[in-house]
Amino acid sequence: MGKEMVAMLLAGGQGSRLYVLTQKLAKPAVPFGGKYRIIDFPLSNCVNSGIDTVGILTQYQPLVLNEYIGNGQPWDLDRLYGGVHILPPYQKASGSDWYKGTANAIYQNLGFIERYDPEYVIILSGDQICKQDYSDFLNFHKKKNAEFTVAVMEVPWEEAPRFGLMVADEDDRITQFQEKPKEPKSNLASMGIYIFNWDILKKYLIEDEADEDSENDFGNNIIPNLLRDERRMYAYHFKGYWKDVGTISSLWEANMEVLEPEKSGIDLFDENWKIYSRNSGLPGHKINSGAIVRDSMITDGCTIDGTVVHSILFAGVTIEKGAVVEDAVVMGGSIIKAGARVSHCIIAENVVVGESASIGRMPGDGESAVSGVATIGSGVYIGDNAKIGPDAMISENVKDGEQR
Amino acid sequence: MINTRADAMSVIFPNNYDNMVPELSEMRLMGSLPVASRYRIIDFYLSSLVNSGIDSIAMLTRRNYHSLLDHIGSGREWDLVRKNGGLSIFPPYAVKNIGIYEGWIEGLESIRSFLESKKEELVILSDACIVMNFDYEKLIRFHIDSGADVTVAYTREPMPDEVISDGDPEKGLFYTLDLDGTRVTNIDINPRRKGIQNLSMNIYVVRRKWLVDIVEKTFLRGGVYLVRDILIPMIKELNIQGYEYTGYTSRITDIKQYYRQNMRLLEGDNLSQLFSGNPIYTKIRDDNPTRYTGDSSASNVMVADGCIIEGDIENCVLFRGVRVKKGARVRNSIIMQDTVIEEKADIDCVITDKRVTVSAGTRLRGSESFPIYISKGHKV
Repeated sequence: MGKEMVAMLLAGGQGSRLYVLTQKLAKPAVPFGGKYRIIDFPLSNCVNSGIDTVGILTQYQPLVLNEYIGNGQPWDLDRLYGGVHILPPYQKASGSDWYKGTANAIYQNLGFIERYDPEYVIILSGDQICKQDYSDFLNFHKKKNAEFTVAVMEVPWEEAPRFGLMVADEDDRITQFQEKPKEPKSNLASMGIYIFNWDILKKYLIEDEADEDSENDFGNNIIPNLLRDERRMYAYHFKGYWKDVGTISSLWEANMEVLEPEKSGIDLFDENWKIYSRNSGLPGHKINSGAIVRDSMITDGCTIDGTVVHSILFAGVTIEKGAVVEDAVVMGGSIIKAGARVSHCIIAENVVVGESASIGRMPGDGESAVSGVATIGSGVYIGDNAKIGPDAMISENVKDGEQR
Repeated sequence: MINTRADAMSVIFPNNYDNMVPELSEMRLMGSLPVASRYRIIDFYLSSLVNSGIDSIAMLTRRNYHSLLDHIGSGREWDLVRKNGGLSIFPPYAVKNIGIYEGWIEGLESIRSFLESKKEELVILSDACIVMNFDYEKLIRFHIDSGADVTVAYTREPMPDEVISDGDPEKGLFYTLDLDGTRVTNIDINPRRKGIQNLSMNIYVVRRKWLVDIVEKTFLRGGVYLVRDILIPMIKELNIQGYEYTGYTSRITDIKQYYRQNMRLLEGDNLSQLFSGNPIYTKIRDDNPTRYTGDSSASNVMVADGCIIEGDIENCVLFRGVRVKKGARVRNSIIMQDTVIEEKADIDCVITDKRVTVSAGTRLRGSESFPIYISKGHKV
């Protein structure tokens, strides 16, 4: 029996605008929200929507991601028929290629989709934080008798020029596509999530591959070709929390929004839409006498003696006495030593911040609340009394007392 | 074969001592008592065994085993889904001339053909009543090096108060060891002796073939208990060795100890003593991290994932999914899974079982020697 819909998750992006955070891992593997990685969101959405077959297209630094996904069991995607599969570029009889673009990545894996003989294929992006019911999306696609549907978000008009925009009629049928236009005719931004009828996807990917001038990209090539041929293309309006966490400031901001679910709308406490992740296996966290914890999210294995305000701590973080952590994202296994000050920053995994060191600075009056985020790469040692300013991007050890 | 696994299997009797904690074991058994914010006692045994390379484990349940089955599932979280070995759970079933087993001999007799079919040289027998991060590899090495027929692990600690005060064997049997060097020369059952004893942990290492043989013989003669009917009568002819365990242990022997031993994890470096070795695995619930709002305060607490803390918590152990609402105050208490403490409730020295609701404004005061216990699902 064929599958109704198979998901293809694009996870090959380097995420170069996350700099030190993606030096050793692909963007979808970047930790998020206390105990998740970004990819947990699309994977959990799939399984919560009833999709049990997911191909993950990897290319850049896949080791962490491969190990994290494993057999897919944490997402209930270890299946006899279907389940989750990592799809790296591979050698074929007629040579081998890296994935040249998003469309080419899917093209190279047409054989994978073929095995499940689906009616529909959903193309997902591995770098967004979003809780979305894809079954609702598919119902819309079927109701419109569409051949292609793209999920869109209404964005403020002044921000529209930053996005790929879909111009649609009153029936939501797409009439035009504008990629980052100076003069937007629409404020419907593409979320980079598409549903295709399988036969249409296959036809256009084969055609696109034959075109030597093509960049093999969904946005730049496939969608314009579909429009050219006046295919039945529709825009599905998604209303909910959605964030592209492609930059340090947006990643930091999205983490902070987790702390205010009432305001931001990203509710991780939703029993009906759980986000699954691989478990740390650590005991409950411990907050000692004298510690202060406010407005924060804390997970297993943390030990807190200092002060934690408006911050997210991942598994196994230690905050020593007198240390103050504010507006910060501190990823798994990091240690903030006695008297250190950590503000308005992202600390990656297994970092040690030395005694009385200082990282980042709270934005002053009149400064943007999301800019100036300092970032410390994974495994870095920050020496005692070292001082790291706002906007810093640290990937190598910093000596005692040094200033950056 | 490459030697990554120990040449040993294990048989666990998770019902032992149920009667010591009647309140908590009304709906569950000793091995599935919730402890240390996100675990059941059985997690410590299973994880320790798996971490020591023992992945063929049989569990003989006797009653109230639903909560245990629900917790263990297929055994995947302990990496016990194996083609060879893995987890075998034996619910109670009556065979010919055995009802539901009373002592270990009867239990072992009922799975004799299973034991015969195994290939491991050694069997580790135990119940599930101690919170610990036990190194079975060391125990096995000691057993082999000492040339013992039987090795029994013990700790140096006093007999439980309960036994000293009434010694009722119905509640549970505790064994103390007299030692000559490491050789066990005498075993006393429920001695009403004060002070530090060599108190058996009820963890035994024996040769599998010997066990199968002796169980069959003893059963035919009407024997029921391993210690009373095999070890004590044969104390001279068997080389029984005592292995002292000096790591962190918590024995749950009554509700007072249940309270005390959970609270003890908040003291000093007890938590890291228990957890700094190998990881302890448990059932995954996929809770999100615990959220502390701007109105909350927390001091000297151990808290699992999935909680929302809006009130004040002090000297507490909170299990997964607990809610402490605005203005509520929770002190010196153990709050199990999915309990809700509503607005302005004020509780001190209380144990709430799973899914309890303490309604708004309620005041409850227990004491450390008599903590108030609220049973599963109740609303106060």
